[in-house]
Amino acid sequence: MTTSTNSTSSRSDRSPTGLPLWWKQTRKAFLPPLFGIGGFLLFWQLSATLGLTKLAGPLSLFTEERTRELLFYPFFDRGGLDKGLFLHAMNSLSRVALGYTLAAVVGIAVGIAVGLNKALDRALDPLFQFLRMVAPLAWVPIALVLFQNNQPAAIFVIFVTSIWPILINTAEGVRQIPQDYRNVALVLQMSNRNFFTKVLIPSALPYIFTGLRISIGLAWLAIIAAEIVMPGTPGIGFFIWDAYQNSYVSDIILGVIWIGAIGLLLDRLMVWLQNRIAAGQ
Amino acid sequence: MTTLVQIQEIEKSFPLSGSDTYLALKGIDLQIRKGEFISLIGHSGCGKSTLLNMIAGLDLPTGGTVLVDGEVVRRPGPDKMVVFQNYSLLPWLSVRENIALAVDEVMPDLPKAERDAVIDDHIAMVGLGPASHKRPAELSGGMRQRVAIARALAIKPKLLLLDEPFGALDALTRGNLQEKLMQICNEHALTAVMVTHDVDEAVFLSDRIVMLTNGPGSVIGGILEVDLPRPRQRLSVVHHPSYYSLRSEIIYFLNRQKRVKQWQAKPHKVLARHGLEKVNLDLGFVPLAACAPLAVAQAKGFFSKHGLDAVQLVRETSWRGVTDGLVDGTLDAALMPSGMPAWMTAGGHGGPPLPVVSSLTLSRNGNGITLARRLADQGVHNVDDYRRYLLSHQREPHRLGIVHPASMHNLLLRYWLASHAIDPDHDVHLQTIPPAQMLADLKDGSLDGFCIGAPWLDRAQADGHGFTVAGDLAIWPGHPGKVLGVREDWALAYPNTHIALTKALLEACQYCAEPSHWGELSELLSDRRYLGMKKEVIWFSETGADGSSTVPHHLFFGKGVNRPSRSEHLWILTQLARWGEIPFPRNYVEILERICAVGVFSTAARELGLDAVSYQRGPIELFDGRPFDVDHPIDYLNAVSVHRDFSVAEIALGAPRPLAG
Repeated sequence: MTTSTNSTSSRSDRSPTGLPLWWKQTRKAFLPPLFGIGGFLLFWQLSATLGLTKLAGPLSLFTEERTRELLFYPFFDRGGLDKGLFLHAMNSLSRVALGYTLAAVVGIAVGIAVGLNKALDRALDPLFQFLRMVAPLAWVPIALVLFQNNQPAAIFVIFVTSIWPILINTAEGVRQIPQDYRNVALVLQMSNRNFFTKVLIPSALPYIFTGLRISIGLAWLAIIAAEIVMPGTPGIGFFIWDAYQNSYVSDIILGVIWIGAIGLLLDRLMVWLQNRIAAGQ
Repeated sequence: MTTLVQIQEIEKSFPLSGSDTYLALKGIDLQIRKGEFISLIGHSGCGKSTLLNMIAGLDLPTGGTVLVDGEVVRRPGPDKMVVFQNYSLLPWLSVRENIALAVDEVMPDLPKAERDAVIDDHIAMVGLGPASHKRPAELSGGMRQRVAIARALAIKPKLLLLDEPFGALDALTRGNLQEKLMQICNEHALTAVMVTHDVDEAVFLSDRIVMLTNGPGSVIGGILEVDLPRPRQRLSVVHHPSYYSLRSEIIYFLNRQKRVKQWQAKPHKVLARHGLEKVNLDLGFVPLAACAPLAVAQAKGFFSKHGLDAVQLVRETSWRGVTDGLVDGTLDAALMPSGMPAWMTAGGHGGPPLPVVSSLTLSRNGNGITLARRLADQGVHNVDDYRRYLLSHQREPHRLGIVHPASMHNLLLRYWLASHAIDPDHDVHLQTIPPAQMLADLKDGSLDGFCIGAPWLDRAQADGHGFTVAGDLAIWPGHPGKVLGVREDWALAYPNTHIALTKALLEACQYCAEPSHWGELSELLSDRRYLGMKKEVIWFSETGADGSSTVPHHLFFGKGVNRPSRSEHLWILTQLARWGEIPFPRNYVEILERICAVGVFSTAARELGLDAVSYQRGPIELFDGRPFDVDHPIDYLNAVSVHRDFSVAEIALGAPRPLAG
């Protein structure tokens, strides 16, 4: 994107400087999405105002007083479940962090074991392929029966939803270690420990990160599902469910915006991490 | 020098789907001395990389053992370091880190400072100091391979194994790296084994070149000693007389392998038609004016006329191709030098004696001895001048070219030299070279002269690089030139085909002998399928291309020209024995009886109504006038003053038996 704008500007006869230059270079990157989002919001607002749908328009975030307060004051805490959206989100995030970390640790470990051991791979692969097809919501009742408690059950749902891409990608990454690298290790008679840390992990790292990135999205999806089904725990999922029970449609919209924004941020965070750690490959 | 690697009776097979196995290598035996540089060369899929991997221990043989320094190789180790074709650098590590990884792993007991010094030394050795912090992705292919070489050498292996190390590089980089590698190998007296596809690379770098035949079941097809002196320079090494013969040896081997592969790929059903046992024949020949009867028989339809309607002419670049083609059965019959049937029947080709039958002499004369023009410029105009020249220029190498040890050229040249008190083995060096190479060597001065047939000798004269010092008419007028040869077992299996083939070629010989056809012959042979030369240099009259003369240069047909002659083959046996090519066969009467298919010739001639040609020739007498008594060949041999030590031995041929299947 940037290169194409650069080349366009260098080709033009007049060469603007300062703010006009900045605008010239960035308008191609910013204008289309701006129009897209703006158009969408306009259409939504119009259809709500014209009564085509029961769903409130985006402007209701500002027009509804309760929602406006939630929008502008995300940090209040009146105790119990009556908190600002930031605090709700933090509750959800901490659960995700726990479940996701667990999934990453177990997923990478099992993935490496499966990737290295063909027999183990053949034994477990059908099971993994089957389990990864089970939707997060379907895990909720099983989790509740298993743990008899909302908090660990929610974490389990996140774990069990997000582990598969990590596991499967790690296993693939280990399987895909080029024979050349293995030969180098063999010829140098590397110890297992050194092979693991100096060859296996660095070589599989791009695959592992791909798995981690897919999983973070899934984990975030799962938490909302889990909280909606398991009310009574503070969290963004519960917030939406609660708003729905009270028919606060504009609150739901605000909650959804928070979910989307946090999901996007998490994904960007993983990309950033990937670029930092697995660079040069 | 002590042996470092011993490869003993290695066999390797790979499991295929089901219970089948693919035999990649069998019976590989090789000793590698300390400090030696060995190349493994062969076509793709011949198992050369597999062999290398087995030396490295990355792969284990299914039979036999590999010993490195007296120890059986059971697993890979840093003492047998490998430089892989695709470099195998770890992409997340810098140049320095890649080398450090190996050094740290292999020499953990060395203090850190010393390890660092080793690493830095080797980075500097391959000239990568400024790039030491770069990652492989930032380097060119040549630089990456230099890192791989530095990494391999840094851990001080006993043995360096290189798997097509320069295969993926451009020619310039490859050349530079080859020189670098050779320099490093020389400085550190490294022992190395390299797999390569590149003939020049193999010749340039190696002490010995191991040539592997095609799989399945590849074996060592030959080992070449590279006698180029070290240190070698890329530019000067190509001027060494051995360079091109080594190169052409390898290329011959590879082409031969390719031809065998192509031959095996085709179905080979024996087509029997028209009452003949086999009508689909592969006929070998070497591009010479004397191949005219074959070309004519094909072009004028003489083969089809006699029922052989699927004859294919197979052009070989050297007589060796003809020998090998008969040995491995890829050729049914061939145009061959008149000495070849006796030579092969007596086992001169190195294998077990292979009885070869000749039913037809296809040509006589047409040869000559050429000396380089530069000798004429120094006053050498005849053989006596040449002898004086040899005496006064003793320190120079005097090479004379021949096309094959069993060819009449070799025997005539040797006879001629020896009669003029020049020992053909001591005073000069006779070398087997392909004709085209002879011209080039004559031109650049590495060859004093040669004895070959038309049109090559005429070309040397026409190009102005040589002059004919003695024509064959002055040595032995009417000497046999080329004959038709088939394996005895082939002749017994396909007797009617043999007669039909003899008839077709005898008729073609008759056609070739007619002066009014010579223009047409020149035209025909100038085609790329045959000689691929301008027709002006191919002539059949003694005086040259002017067309008016009807005195023939070659004798293709006539009284006593074509009938296989026992006394001539006997003379050839004496000469081959004289120069140590074969022992003189005590059972020479039996051998001559089996070589000369006089009956086949007589039948063919009679059926063509050409009874007149079957008269026998008179006694053999060469220019020196010494008579050849066919009843006392050993006396004849003992009477000559110049000869090598020769033995008289019974050559066991076994009972004649037809080709199976």
